Amino acid sequence: MPANNLLLSSSPHVFTGVTPQKLMLAVIIALAPVSVYGVVLYGLPALFVMLVSVATAVLSEAGFRALTKQDVRIGDLSAVVTGLLVALISPPSIPLWMVALGSFAAIVLAKEFFGGLGANPFNPALIGRAILLMSFPAAMTTWHIPFKGLSDATAGATPLNIVKMGGSIADVGTGFMQNGLAAASDYSSTLVTLFVGNRAGCIGESSIMLILVGFVFLLATRVISFIIPVAMVGTAFLASWAFGMDPVFGTLSGGILFGAVFMATDYSSSPLTPLGKLLFGAGAGLVTIIIRRFGGYPEGVTYGILLMNMLSPFMDKLRVKKYGFVPAVKPAKPASKGAGK
Amino acid sequence: MSTKTFKGGAHPPERKERSASVPIEILRKVTQVVIPVNQHFGAPIQPLVKVGDLVKRGQKIADADGRMTVPLHASITGTVKKIEPRMQANNLEGLAIVIEPASEDETDFMQPLDAFACTKQEALARVREAGIIGVGGAGFPAHVKFAPPPNKPIEYVIANAAECEPFLTIDERVMEETPEDLIDGMAIVMAIVGASKGVVGLENNKTHLVHLLEKAIADKAHGLDISVQLLATKYPQGGEKMLITAITGREVPSGGLPMDVACVVSNVGTLKAVSEAFRKGKPVIDTGLTVTGGACETPKNLFVPVGMLVQDLFPDVVRYDEGKLRRIVMGGPMMGPAVPTLQIPIQKNTSGVLLMDATEAKAYAEGPCIRCGRCMRACSCRLSPALLNVAFNAGDLDTAEKIGALDCIECGTCSFVCPSHIQLVQRFRVGKQLVRVKKQKEALRAGK
Repeated sequence: MPANNLLLSSSPHVFTGVTPQKLMLAVIIALAPVSVYGVVLYGLPALFVMLVSVATAVLSEAGFRALTKQDVRIGDLSAVVTGLLVALISPPSIPLWMVALGSFAAIVLAKEFFGGLGANPFNPALIGRAILLMSFPAAMTTWHIPFKGLSDATAGATPLNIVKMGGSIADVGTGFMQNGLAAASDYSSTLVTLFVGNRAGCIGESSIMLILVGFVFLLATRVISFIIPVAMVGTAFLASWAFGMDPVFGTLSGGILFGAVFMATDYSSSPLTPLGKLLFGAGAGLVTIIIRRFGGYPEGVTYGILLMNMLSPFMDKLRVKKYGFVPAVKPAKPASKGAGK
Repeated sequence: MSTKTFKGGAHPPERKERSASVPIEILRKVTQVVIPVNQHFGAPIQPLVKVGDLVKRGQKIADADGRMTVPLHASITGTVKKIEPRMQANNLEGLAIVIEPASEDETDFMQPLDAFACTKQEALARVREAGIIGVGGAGFPAHVKFAPPPNKPIEYVIANAAECEPFLTIDERVMEETPEDLIDGMAIVMAIVGASKGVVGLENNKTHLVHLLEKAIADKAHGLDISVQLLATKYPQGGEKMLITAITGREVPSGGLPMDVACVVSNVGTLKAVSEAFRKGKPVIDTGLTVTGGACETPKNLFVPVGMLVQDLFPDVVRYDEGKLRRIVMGGPMMGPAVPTLQIPIQKNTSGVLLMDATEAKAYAEGPCIRCGRCMRACSCRLSPALLNVAFNAGDLDTAEKIGALDCIECGTCSFVCPSHIQLVQRFRVGKQLVRVKKQKEALRAGK
């Protein structure tokens, strides 16, 4: 007769073995190329920013949950992802205490106050960035030319900034050539330089090539769906073309690709349904371009995604038709005598 | 041959290799049988025998009037020892007839009947008298399924040979060893319901059976149009709705039945029982099942008398390692219930007994929903399990119903794929009952 150590539970009795930890690890692996490239571009300071940000995120999650007497679940690696994301969307010269503050705000204000993993209505890393951007506008918009260290002498503007200030794409190309980032200043070599990512900007946002590597990895491992990134970038492309901006330049510069792949696909702040994802992505892309075109900021990805985060609970109502869907029969209208008039 | 399938689903490890090549062993000698009286879906039936009666193998021992009833037959020759409530595979107690064998082995079968010469009424009566129920699932009375109303003509008879549950191999073995029984059963059902097409839906992990089935079709199809359709090996391919959609491209309407899209779906075991009921006059007194799992040392495919206790399989028929045994499952690992003891009778619709070890039988605490959307992609009914879970947790039955709680077929794919091990299907099983209660209350109120 079997002993009492039999497990009794309702079916199913088998599982895939995929855990939240493995999904988060996949995101970290996808972020690895841009993180390494950030260090290549800006040297050790960029590495310190990442380390401080990740450590702060993990410690503040563990500390908050211990303080509020909840299970400490830093083992799921979601705090590592948030901390890394905060660092990657910060300028390389950000003071370490400042990125720590952003990381703390992301974890505690944006995530744990709402219940932690899976419950945050807004993307935590973007909330962290938004708070820093409002509080320390100067430090958050100080950019540096890659490969030259982080002194005042190497400060420079981002390509989007140059265009926002009335410059042309040719000016961007000339800047690249002067700083040794491109061999020529013509349009196509400017785009190639942007694609490779050798330009001033946030630590992890610049290399379109490596972001796409991460994107393909996340798609191949089925961690994210392609709908939101494709809808967001596609809409931004069309919208900037409609507003008379250069859509190719707009897509390759700024943070739209990084945002579309790593921020807009955040599980808990984006819709679950395919149609919801489509509208969410399209909306984020459109708002980004409206801000770039008409707003005060050169960049609009942060607020584009945060604005759509607000709508994502409503977009979850846009479900696909269930199997065997039968349209509801509308009650027959009472026959009116005056029909045909 | 092209491979068809449905949208959604998942691919659990098949684990069929240990028993797939083991020939079926037919077991007749048992020390007792405990036959649950009500094994079918429908109205309850009552015992026709009393304690002390001598019954013959195949003799009817329980029945009742009413359309949604199926009679029950003695699976061995012997003496009725007890009629009392016993624990069943569904973890509930139900009335059971306990029979201990006599020394002689007499049979009391019906006369064979030519399904192609008799009337439809005679054929349906035979299906009922043989105690045939759908053995793939809930045990729906076969004579009711085979008699749709006149305004629902049937085009397809589909043999559910997908066997999409991991571990189970009994249907595969039946098709390998006696494919002609399956095809004959299909032909009979097609004659009864007047279907023009018969399709055997086979998952493509069993392609080696195609030529056996096609040979059986050449011999036993009685001139009817029967073919084999390969399907992707994917759970729940053997779900009735998924099978119909994969083969015909039609979707069973919400709240409807396969007959609404001109289909009748029957399991391999059911169709074999139909063939035997007509050819041999034999009622359903044997169950085919696979006994396997990590704690099972000698995985086997068996035919045993209905009502045999799982306990009585050991150690003469099957050996298991008691130290390794962590979970006993009646059926497959995706939908079969776990039971607390081996003193459970094998029923007409028991397809397997899994003796799982520690590596197979894991238990997890529920984590938070991370909204990864894996359940949404896997749901075979295109429901939104993550949102349904939120609605049920909030007690919001109206939203749950709107999302489609009642369309859930409880296949368990959502819980299988959930990284946080959230008990999705488990919650939906309970929740569906709550939604039904709510709807009944609303109907009562509206009636006043």
